[in-house]
Amino acid sequence: MTQPNLESLVPAYVREFEPYIPSRPDPELMKLYGCARLYRLNNNENPLGPPPGAQEVIRRFPPPQGAVYPSGDSYYLRQELGAVHGVDPGQILVGNGANEVIAFVIKAFCEQGDNIVTADKTFAVYEWVAVFSGIEARVIPLKDEGFDDAAMLAAIDPRTKILFVCNPNNPTGSYWTRERLRGFLAAVGGRRIVVVDEAYCEFVEQEDFPNGISLLGEYPNLVVFRTFSKMYGLAALRIGYLVGAPEVVDMIRRTCVVYSVNRIAQEAALAALKDDTGHIRRTRALVRTSRTFLRGELAKMGLPVIAGEGNYLIAKLPLSDTLAYRKLMREGIMIRPMTGFRCPNHIRITLAGQEAMEACVAALKKILP
Amino acid sequence: MHEPRHGTVQLHLEARAPFLPVVTQFVESAASLFGLARTESLKLSLATEEIFLHLCGAVCAGEQLETACQDGLYYTRVLFRFHAPQLNLKGLNIASDSAKDGQCDLDEMGLMIASRSVDRLHLTEEKGHRICLAVTMEKVYPRFSEQLPRPAAPAGVSVEEPDRERVKRFALLAGRFSPERDRPPFFAYPGKVADMVAGGEYRCLTAISQKREIVGGIIFSGRSERIVQFHGPYLFSEGEQIAAADALLTALIASIARTKALGLLSLAGLPKALEPQFEHLGSLPPSTAEGPGGGVSFFFRHLHEDPGAEVWVPADLTVWLTGEYDRLVLARQIRTVQAMGETRLGASLFAAEIVRERAEATLRPLWPGADLAANVARHVRYLQADGLTTLLFEIDLGLPWHAELIPVLMANGFTPALLLPFAGQADLVIFQHHDATES
Repeated sequence: MTQPNLESLVPAYVREFEPYIPSRPDPELMKLYGCARLYRLNNNENPLGPPPGAQEVIRRFPPPQGAVYPSGDSYYLRQELGAVHGVDPGQILVGNGANEVIAFVIKAFCEQGDNIVTADKTFAVYEWVAVFSGIEARVIPLKDEGFDDAAMLAAIDPRTKILFVCNPNNPTGSYWTRERLRGFLAAVGGRRIVVVDEAYCEFVEQEDFPNGISLLGEYPNLVVFRTFSKMYGLAALRIGYLVGAPEVVDMIRRTCVVYSVNRIAQEAALAALKDDTGHIRRTRALVRTSRTFLRGELAKMGLPVIAGEGNYLIAKLPLSDTLAYRKLMREGIMIRPMTGFRCPNHIRITLAGQEAMEACVAALKKILP
Repeated sequence: MHEPRHGTVQLHLEARAPFLPVVTQFVESAASLFGLARTESLKLSLATEEIFLHLCGAVCAGEQLETACQDGLYYTRVLFRFHAPQLNLKGLNIASDSAKDGQCDLDEMGLMIASRSVDRLHLTEEKGHRICLAVTMEKVYPRFSEQLPRPAAPAGVSVEEPDRERVKRFALLAGRFSPERDRPPFFAYPGKVADMVAGGEYRCLTAISQKREIVGGIIFSGRSERIVQFHGPYLFSEGEQIAAADALLTALIASIARTKALGLLSLAGLPKALEPQFEHLGSLPPSTAEGPGGGVSFFFRHLHEDPGAEVWVPADLTVWLTGEYDRLVLARQIRTVQAMGETRLGASLFAAEIVRERAEATLRPLWPGADLAANVARHVRYLQADGLTTLLFEIDLGLPWHAELIPVLMANGFTPALLLPFAGQADLVIFQHHDATES
């Protein structure tokens, strides 16, 4: 049988892109590392799970409805999101996780020869989607663990289409204040799109932390990302969204794949938004307690810590982070080694329940030289 | 890693002897176009001639044969791609005994000439059971050892990818200020280093002082699909050098952190200050040529979470291997292989890489056969007679047929010395030969 000529069929920027290989499922990892239980402290999941109303939606989903297509544009969810954020539902696009809306935006605005600007130590997917779409990704080093606004502005050229800012930043937890974000948006002007990814915004309790959506009226080139994976505990259902000015969203809608968000996700997200049981308050309290506890314990061990906003913190180790990952896996603790974020010898730990935090501390004490 | 910038030309024809002039002319023209000097071009053409005739006669007579010439900038490679029901390339072994006792097998003699004419030999089975036999001829470069002065201790350093001239200066500095055992022989040829980097197979980073002097550097390349091997960081200035070493390593990691490379491997020494960031794999005992105090430590670090792997070994090796996996905290599923009387056909083929400066030879199995024991013994005899005192044998634990070689190696004086994670299809084990007379 003749093999397809992949050299000529596949664009060079796809051929040269290195595919991301996700880690194996938990049971396989537990078998590999010989651990009887596993605390997942690697993906910043919410240990409380989804709000009770969303859990009820998941529990009660009628199996025969599995045969019926969902709303193609998450109609009811957008209505509710519009009401919550005080924007028109037409300004919202819902995707199969925030990862999908990243792809929508890059496809809508960039063509070959264009570039995007973001940071070197931030969420990797902006860079990945750009690179495998044939778009240059300009990654600017962080300054004092935060996005360097001046250097990002200096990296702009006539082919720059989008600037991605992760606020608060994953993994460092640093954030831009309202004033700093406004200054950046003003400096960029209307010639480029600025994406502010607020995946972890619900965890931030600082008063000067900006709600990007509230700035849309002033800055129509602003696009804000949100997710239901973190605070709302719906990571398994893959649902996130973007909000922007009507004209901008109308352009992005052209590259948006409809029907990509399943019905359980839409309905669970809707229920999560309507939660009145104090889910956010409970989660914030848990994160606050865990941060204080873990920070103190890491300090006692002499480990430098970067702990900003978000439900995670970073610890610097006196050994390779990837070796620490393997040693901790043997102890049933799964953390995120940070070499892939260009922070070698650092690990990111999700702030979870007390039992998990104590197990993590005990394991760290056991493995450190 | 960047994809190497190979220029490639291809020739498709049937494997029939009358086409020989077409093939040799094609290779000579391509080699000349790619910048190979006349002598090397003729050697490559000679190897091509012998291999082509062998393929026409005994391997894939009349069948489709693709011949490709690849420009690696510092080398030209000829690749033969074909399908064959059976393969006997015994004559390509460096230790081939086809001329032994005056009983000359002309066909095998031709292959022997071919293998000894070229610098490197490679054989792989590609998708669809297509076989790819590759022979490589490197350009010859002038040796330089210009005495560049030692740079002053820097107040601060930045890291950059050097241009061609700075790559050459880096090579000269490394040649002067780093211990010989810690640097590969190619540093004696700065022009070659420049071409290795320009060709895309290698990348180089240099640490630059505020006075724009090169105060250190590191060079790296993909050893396997998943492992990046690096040499350095080499540090040239006086006084405190930790900052430059750390900056170079951080820049190297940043440049490959978001690639599919799983690990970083150092086989040529590492500054002491960087050792805590790595896992010590072990060291090879010094060769006789290096004398006491020789030998180099090997270091490794993962770049991502360890995905685990399946490895194939005979029962003889499981105790040593389990101990190493436990020490290195690597998750592996060990599959035991055992001969059960099944038939083995054909003749095996090993590649031999020789580093004369270190009196060292590394053997790599390329093709299985029924003669593994005889072929190993023959190679040991041949290489020792050639004055090579350090004999290494690399076994890829991801390839079940390699496991069959392990008892043979152990019966021939080899012992496992080092485990290199993911350096092959799975992990590699380097076996080292110990003479029966050694204590």
